[in-house]
Amino acid sequence: MSQALSAHPGVSMRSRRNPLAGTIRVLRLMARNKVGFVGFVIAMIIIVGSYITPLVIPFNSIGSTDMIYVTPSWAHPFGTDYEGRDVLIQVLRGGTDVVTVGLLTALFTTVIAVTFGALSGFAGGRVDWSITGLADIVLTIPTLPLFIAISGLVNLNSAWQLAILLAVVSWPLLLRAVRSQILSLKQRDYVEAARALDLGTRHIIFREMLPNMMSYIVINFVLTATSAIYLSVTLVFLGLVPLSESNWGVMLNLANVRGAVFLPNALPYILGPTFAIVLLQFCLVLTLRSLDEVFNPRLRGGA
Amino acid sequence: MSAATIVSEEKTILDQERTSVVGRLARHYLLRRIIKAIVTVWVVITLTFFLIHAMPGSPIDAFISNQMSLYGIDYHTAKSMAASIFAVDLSQPMPLQYLGFMGGLLHGSLGDSLANPGTPVSTELLQYLPWTLFCVSFGLLISFVVGCLLGLIMAYRRETWLDHALSGVGSFLVSIPSFLLATLIIEFLGVQWGILPFTQMRGSLSPGVKASFSPGFVGDLFYHGALPIAVYVLSTIGTWMLTMKSSTIAALEEDYVTVARARGLSDRRIMSAYVGRNAILPVFTQLTISIGFIIGSAAAIEFVLQYQGVGYLLLTSISARDYTTIQGIFLIITVSVIVCNLLADLLYGKLDPRITAIGSGAQE
Amino acid sequence: MSTSMPSPAVAESPFAYPDAVLSVRDLWVEYRAYRGMVQAVRGVSFDLRKGESLALIGESGSGKTTLSLALIRLLTRSALVRRGTMTYRRRDGKEISVLSLSPDELRRFRWKECAMVFQSALNSLNPVLKVWDQMYDTIKVHEPMSKQEARERALERLRLVQLDAERVLNSYPHELSGGMRQRVLLAMALLLNPQILLLDEPTTALDILTQRSIIDLLRRLKETLGFSTIFISHDLSLAAELADRVATIYAGQVVEIGEVRATFYRPCHPYTLGLMRAVPSLTASDSEMTSIPGSPPDLIDLPPGCKFQPRCGYATEQCTASQPELYAVGPHHGAACFNWQVLSREHEDAGKP
Repeated sequence: MSQALSAHPGVSMRSRRNPLAGTIRVLRLMARNKVGFVGFVIAMIIIVGSYITPLVIPFNSIGSTDMIYVTPSWAHPFGTDYEGRDVLIQVLRGGTDVVTVGLLTALFTTVIAVTFGALSGFAGGRVDWSITGLADIVLTIPTLPLFIAISGLVNLNSAWQLAILLAVVSWPLLLRAVRSQILSLKQRDYVEAARALDLGTRHIIFREMLPNMMSYIVINFVLTATSAIYLSVTLVFLGLVPLSESNWGVMLNLANVRGAVFLPNALPYILGPTFAIVLLQFCLVLTLRSLDEVFNPRLRGGA
Repeated sequence: MSAATIVSEEKTILDQERTSVVGRLARHYLLRRIIKAIVTVWVVITLTFFLIHAMPGSPIDAFISNQMSLYGIDYHTAKSMAASIFAVDLSQPMPLQYLGFMGGLLHGSLGDSLANPGTPVSTELLQYLPWTLFCVSFGLLISFVVGCLLGLIMAYRRETWLDHALSGVGSFLVSIPSFLLATLIIEFLGVQWGILPFTQMRGSLSPGVKASFSPGFVGDLFYHGALPIAVYVLSTIGTWMLTMKSSTIAALEEDYVTVARARGLSDRRIMSAYVGRNAILPVFTQLTISIGFIIGSAAAIEFVLQYQGVGYLLLTSISARDYTTIQGIFLIITVSVIVCNLLADLLYGKLDPRITAIGSGAQE
Repeated sequence: MSTSMPSPAVAESPFAYPDAVLSVRDLWVEYRAYRGMVQAVRGVSFDLRKGESLALIGESGSGKTTLSLALIRLLTRSALVRRGTMTYRRRDGKEISVLSLSPDELRRFRWKECAMVFQSALNSLNPVLKVWDQMYDTIKVHEPMSKQEARERALERLRLVQLDAERVLNSYPHELSGGMRQRVLLAMALLLNPQILLLDEPTTALDILTQRSIIDLLRRLKETLGFSTIFISHDLSLAAELADRVATIYAGQVVEIGEVRATFYRPCHPYTLGLMRAVPSLTASDSEMTSIPGSPPDLIDLPPGCKFQPRCGYATEQCTASQPELYAVGPHHGAACFNWQVLSREHEDAGKP
């Protein structure tokens, strides 16, 4: 992914002036990889839907005890849960926290990693050495055990809190990529030219170098979101992070705790959130393929 | 200038490089990795110390006030109890406590378990750790070997139905969180289809079986370990498959493969020594990156499968508020990850002859 | 696809010799690209005699690399030999048709009868194996012999290319400089005493001093070992130094072929002439150097008639309409140009350059 980054077909000067045209061009490039584009569309639907559905579909917290673990029917396409509440509604409404944590973590991580990566690469010397050293150490610490241990000490109960903590451990990967890009781009001609014109470090970093790193940044954004979703769902599943009443992780936790795993009828209760989580992750992974088209468009038809 | 002069000049240059720079760098790589590992362990220990001992409202303070309020024990007695259980000397100022803590660690003293008073944490760890290590090692071994082989096949049979099918399976497996995999396995193979007697397969050992080297024990070990190992394999194999596939495709396009064909080498030799040995290098790097993640996921997997390993112990300690054990487990897990990383790095250095010469790879 | 040598009538054509080691006739190679079929090699014919050195000169994209890969059938999956024959005569006199070899026979043919030194030496050796392992691999699969003997052979070849044999044999490729790697490849190519050596741009990736030493080495090796060489280059001066005969390739065809002196002193094809004029001379003035205007044709969509016509200063109406054959313009000297006599006369008028 490192050759010829000085000219990006998808991200050019023109598109920055006219965001709409730029967006359309990006979408069209993404559509070249059909599988990836389908994944992207579905992922977008899930993400946007997660915020819309709670507003639209009310949560009936009162179930009827004679409707426990009912088999799927038109009235309840995904059956009911251990209290007789409809499962499909819970699944549709259950994405908010998960998605929020994913997006927020990715956002914070990107900001931290880009800022410090650029600083590290540009400044060099002591600064570079200490930031890289710190990154290596953070990278080595296993995240799940760390968060399990933290949850024992600190009460984690908001998505924002979790997102910030996750970002604190997720920045090293992107930082490394950003830093190595900056290091190699430092030598390029147009940077020399900008320096000669005395355009200032901030200008050089943000106007000249960043556009060339967009591929790493965007792809890493998606990957960070994926792993943040993974981690947060795991933590909620383990019962360690009481994020909200109903989200996919909580459903699975309750399924385990209430023994739904062992009741054949309760299958939809488990499969519902499972399907949602896996679908979202899978589609995000597929989106990466489309993004690959945007940043590394195929020039040949393949031999 | 005759050709002989030129050659001897090249020779002298290379010789100089060898003894001065290259020689130093060869030792340098090993040394750097080891030092970095030690530093990381030190940072983690310090961090843990800080969290458990040094913060206000820390577990130690909580323990002391707990003892005082629940059992009416006076402050000094509670404090000395805390000191012995947490393996620190509370009469000393913080920095000395820290050194004492470090010293204790080197002796293997991690304090006593709060949930099981009188049991040293180290003893507990030794009881639970081997199981986790067993499952993770076996799982990783199987998934890496099988995954790489599949990846190789996928690259060689690119664009066939086999490739598409395996790629789909690989991508899919990569997207499923491991605990979900475990849950699904129990759900489908156990509950829905009744193939596996999962209730009996739970736990690390059947009741009454003692640890020894007998076939009975080993059989039982695998019987109970089968599910966790299967989950480790399934949750990681996708990564190896996909990485190996892409690196094999890249290797197949390299010049030296074309030249190898031109030399009339057999396809088998090319596949193993020319393509395979080069393609596996990026996968190995990926292994290094993933090890922490894989060991870390043990907690969730052991929870679902009720397998008494270190991850399981961690979770029970959380609900029991057994801070010393939590601390011990976290340390041991992190140290395991660091050690595994180091081993993997060293092994990579052996596999790739370019590493010792260049010194440290692109990123250092 | 016939396996016998060409009949007497064709043998009189300018490129045919009766005692050829390799005989290529009417070879057509094309490969599949996104936009269509690329006609890389279009009806190439030539003979290669024992111990002689033939240079194939052409610009990049002229099809010369495809031609060389076709000779050992190392083309990619998307390439196809549409037509033609390649007949090889072994040392024992037996003739084989290269294109109809089975995969096993092909493996035995490769390297033992015909070896190739590729363009970029930087990545032609497996980075994780020592030079010795790679040499042993090569020997082992063709000539079973003891490790000791194989080692002797490898050391001897490395000495032949003037390297510190012991040290190089135990090194990994990345420990060697570019020039050294090129020599190693040369040594490896000669391991099995092939009759034919193919060299693809043997000096392009090297600095000028190393180029010089490689050229001297090649000349000496040819004299000592007596193998035939086909080397491919865009560098005309290389042909002048190393080759006995030269063929210029344009748009996948041989447009001129003949002995080096005759062809250079009396080029009968405008392309050859253009190539010579484009080479800067140390003695001549700048104004005598010209480049060939225009650019090579699109090999997918070729115009009818002579393919060089759009860039040719000697073109006439005939040239747009039909494709010229290879005319005999001298003893064993052929040019594919309707107007070759015009060029020939020009040289006679100008006197020897």
